[in-house]
Amino acid sequence: MKKIKLMTHVVVGYPNIASTIQIVKAMEEAGVDYVELQIPFSDPIADGPTIMKACDMALQNGVTVRDCLKVMKTLSAQVSIPLFFMGYYNSVFHYGVEKFCKAAKAAGAYGLIIPDIPPDEEEYEHFIKACMTHHLHQIRVVTPASSDERLKLNAQVADEFVYCVSHYGVTGSSASGRVGFRSYLKRINKYFKIPIAVGFGISSRKDVHMVEKYADIVVVGSAVLEIINTYARFDVAIKKINTLIKTLTNKEQIIF
Amino acid sequence: MSFFSYKTQFDADSGGHFGPYGGRYAPEMLIPALEELEREYLKIKTDPAFEWEFLYYLKTYVGRPSPLYFAENLTTTLGGAKIYMKNEGLNHTGAHKINHCLGQALLAKRMKKKRLIAETGAGQHGVAAATVAARFGFECTVYMGEEDMKRQRPNVFWMQRLGATVVPVRTGSRTLKDAVNAALKDWISNVEDSHYLLGSTLGPHPFPSLNRDFQQIIGYEVKEQMQELEGRQPDMLIACVSGGSNALGLFYRFLEDESVRMIGVEAGGEGVGKKGRHASRFAGGTLGVVQGYKTIFLQDTEGNIAQTHSISAGLDYPGIGPQFAYLKDMGRVEFSSATDKEALNAFNLTVKLEGILPALESSHAVAEVIKQAPKLSKDKIIVVNISGRADKDIFIVAEALGDMEWDQFIKEQSK
Repeated sequence: MKKIKLMTHVVVGYPNIASTIQIVKAMEEAGVDYVELQIPFSDPIADGPTIMKACDMALQNGVTVRDCLKVMKTLSAQVSIPLFFMGYYNSVFHYGVEKFCKAAKAAGAYGLIIPDIPPDEEEYEHFIKACMTHHLHQIRVVTPASSDERLKLNAQVADEFVYCVSHYGVTGSSASGRVGFRSYLKRINKYFKIPIAVGFGISSRKDVHMVEKYADIVVVGSAVLEIINTYARFDVAIKKINTLIKTLTNKEQIIF
Repeated sequence: MSFFSYKTQFDADSGGHFGPYGGRYAPEMLIPALEELEREYLKIKTDPAFEWEFLYYLKTYVGRPSPLYFAENLTTTLGGAKIYMKNEGLNHTGAHKINHCLGQALLAKRMKKKRLIAETGAGQHGVAAATVAARFGFECTVYMGEEDMKRQRPNVFWMQRLGATVVPVRTGSRTLKDAVNAALKDWISNVEDSHYLLGSTLGPHPFPSLNRDFQQIIGYEVKEQMQELEGRQPDMLIACVSGGSNALGLFYRFLEDESVRMIGVEAGGEGVGKKGRHASRFAGGTLGVVQGYKTIFLQDTEGNIAQTHSISAGLDYPGIGPQFAYLKDMGRVEFSSATDKEALNAFNLTVKLEGILPALESSHAVAEVIKQAPKLSKDKIIVVNISGRADKDIFIVAEALGDMEWDQFIKEQSK
């Protein structure tokens, strides 16, 4: 049986920039396959309270888009797994779409995950074009609410893998009541010929087990942040993150 | 011609773009719901039954038409143009917000939604949303910044009596834009059975056009009333602008009439020179994409939304409705601002001279009238939109005016 890949998530500058760098390095060591570095933003509409709070804190720390690029540069020199920038379109737009893509590539980013820039606005924004010009993979996000037309439209421009939100909700919300999950992923499979990543509300080995039959990658975001929030001592938090990651990917430890 | 088929050269394209503004910059989770709403919106625009139903409830439930009143004393005192007040404060629930709430509730009914989600700043939209929810049998959740709940306590009370759940929003600046974020997240999570009754001419397409079409009743009536009262149309229209629902409501039917000047009044707070202490988007705002649409936002160098301030909770939103950003570029609508102090002065003057209590939001528009009327000759006519009445502002006004007797009363009540 294929081994499911794991993508984890950090908010750049939360709890501070030095910790972000340490956490990502620890993630690679624990066996993570991809990491999303979130650019903190004041109004992250697809994120739940955990990531929102981390964004607020990072912004209070004065973290800028330039700082995020610096962190990307530092990390891409030190880890070998692909690193994505995740963020909201206004951060990119305000920096300058073309300029940002160029800088992100130069800093060693593998791709971008920007949920609030639908393909419908491409003619005005040229975001996908800029990603292509600078060889950045831009990841499309789809949801159970996406109609066949939306899946088709996103599939036309999708790259690397497709990020499937597992249920109705924001990041970190509980994944209970995943009605029609299988038929949802069947629809995804019909339109997308690239690997499938499943995220939102995944925090335990049991959650991973539920999706691994249908998915190639699982995304764990808020659960890692919760650990950072829970443990005051950073070295303890790092250990707990390590344990979580190993539990999530280790097939020996399925506990129901 | 049917009511909803009215068009202007300043309308959006099929993707909701007003020139470079507007659009639908929503995460994929919301797009199916926005598409469903758009489909239903296009349907009702040509449906005589919907038009009949909308106009029927506006008349029998909202109490329309609202009066167009000649403010004779204010006119004499200022010594210039004739001033008319379109008194939306006399609508059921006390403001213009009921117009688009009624329209959206009827739409939600057609979409078979069971629940309405709303955000509110001053609470006027929240009260209107809770009201239509009660009337048409929806569950209702209203998100309101914690800061605004303190400022607009009476409206919180009435929303709860009307059966709505009022959820305090404790993130960010704890005001309107944070309530919009919270409402959007609720919608993302409950998109199948809930309709987001967004409260202004902002947000992703089709909301800016949808709410404008429901609010155009204001200007539609003014045209008829003006003809009856003066036998001609006004020279100038003035309204306060945050997202823009009341201003666009008054202006829309006059946009094609080049002889009519229009001024939108933003919240100048403590002065537009004071960063973070005003909400005037055209004084320091820049192009951005936030909360699902593109417009001029007050934001920092990183594209994060900046702090704003206004004495009126309904005017401190950091972005301007996309159609207004476009109308400014096109030179069709002018913009100015009024400070907290100017708004309070305008409030006092209107109360004392006309016996009308304009909401603090609407008082910003009156402040502009005070600047404009004396500059115009006596044969000119200004119409100002009194978008709401001030009952909800009792605590803010009492505090701002330093009313000791009220202060004493509150202290005794809390014993």
